[in-house]
Amino acid sequence: MLEGLVSPENLSLSYADMSVPERLKWLQQHQQQEVLSLSSNDSPDLLQILQFHGSNNDELLQSTFSHFQMVGSGFGTNYNMGFGHSHEAMDGCISRTSSCQIHPPDTMGVMLKNSEENRAISLKNKRKSEVKTREEEKTEKKIKVEAETESNISNKEASSDTSKETSKGASQIQKLDYIHVRARRGEATDRHSLAERARREKISKKMKYLQDLVPGCNTVTGKAGVLDEIINYVQSLQRQVEFLSMKLAVINPELELGVEDLSVKQFQAAYFTNFPVVIASKPSVMVDVPLFPLDQQGSLNLSVSNPNQTSIDAPSESWETQSQSLFASVLR
Amino acid sequence: MASADKPINTDVPEKDVFALHFLQSLSNLRRQNTFNSPEKTNDRVKKIKKAAYVSMARAAGGTSRLWSRALLRRAAKETNKVVRFSRRKKRVTWLRRRSNRRDPVEEEEKEAERLRNLVPGGGAMETSKLIEETAYYIKCLSMQVKVMQCLVDGLSPK
Repeated sequence: MLEGLVSPENLSLSYADMSVPERLKWLQQHQQQEVLSLSSNDSPDLLQILQFHGSNNDELLQSTFSHFQMVGSGFGTNYNMGFGHSHEAMDGCISRTSSCQIHPPDTMGVMLKNSEENRAISLKNKRKSEVKTREEEKTEKKIKVEAETESNISNKEASSDTSKETSKGASQIQKLDYIHVRARRGEATDRHSLAERARREKISKKMKYLQDLVPGCNTVTGKAGVLDEIINYVQSLQRQVEFLSMKLAVINPELELGVEDLSVKQFQAAYFTNFPVVIASKPSVMVDVPLFPLDQQGSLNLSVSNPNQTSIDAPSESWETQSQSLFASVLR
Repeated sequence: MASADKPINTDVPEKDVFALHFLQSLSNLRRQNTFNSPEKTNDRVKKIKKAAYVSMARAAGGTSRLWSRALLRRAAKETNKVVRFSRRKKRVTWLRRRSNRRDPVEEEEKEAERLRNLVPGGGAMETSKLIEETAYYIKCLSMQVKVMQCLVDGLSPK
């Protein structure tokens, strides 16, 4: 997938603006290598690439790429989250950069400054400040396209920094897993709003899960409506429990109840022998809990009168019939 | 704040577990002497309802879920509404306070308030955790409803 994306960009690039997109290509190839060999050190490959393209601005290229090489090996741990995000952004920024001219010396200067900043911050070992500088660079709009590409690269740097920290500290601290939230264009990028956005995304994901669970939520859109439906559903379920308990309270004393320990144990023994049967015919996940009357209970009326009936009539009703027959026998 | 996403785990035990717990609690209830007197139906209703919730909480995993813990604690104290409010005052975690400070005006927080009132133990949870617990609670509730419906149908006179 990556290879297919890289090749058209190669064709459309002119040689005048080869510095920044070329760097991004190396990044992509570097990521590919990361994908193939998740935690291996790719220094020999990178050095080859550096030597091959050491034509202009050797030191700057090498310095930045040595920085990448340092942190690249630790990229594997946060492979799932970080890679996916930076991959998408990389495509976007490559398509943007390939169409415009960039002056090489300016890019080099800005890139060097950014990489140095990031290196200093990684030395400080603070994850929050990395996020901050990432956003600060994001809001710098000196050269528009450059800002995007740089921020994307520094995003990758920052994310790989954090992942390096996590891989280093994984042995010591177990809870250092980061969500890499990408700051989109035009959105506020300070620390608080970023964290809040991450929290909101988590919440919306869980709400989607709830939406699948509650029947009839698909038609309503928007968080408020879904939450309303969910609240109604929970209330109706609780009312059902109350109603059923009332019914039980009315019904029970009418049937002479003299339950002793022995009968309960007998019930349990009989119950547990039926386990393989029940498991084989287990009903599916309850997505739809219909209100009264429940459809599955249609053929239950014969259970109470026939306490000896233990045969399985139908897979979906076997549990109910058996339990009812056993319970009735317990009661008698 | 940034933490890795774990897949949401809402596997509810099968109906059998719920049924077992509920029937056990019912049989325990019946052993009480004052239970079968035909006059105090309301008390009986309340006891059965409480038994239903407690057995559901136990069947759903005992103390591994916040709401089940809250239910059990509430049942142990034998008070219904006071417990929840005091817990909210005492146990507002720092996460909860931060979210309160930031989003008191949003629509979502108002809805979350209503949800918190419904789900037991909701006052001490942050919104994302609340939603997860609600999902599990819904599954357990529907399980319990099915069990009770089966019982009622089985026991109802023909």
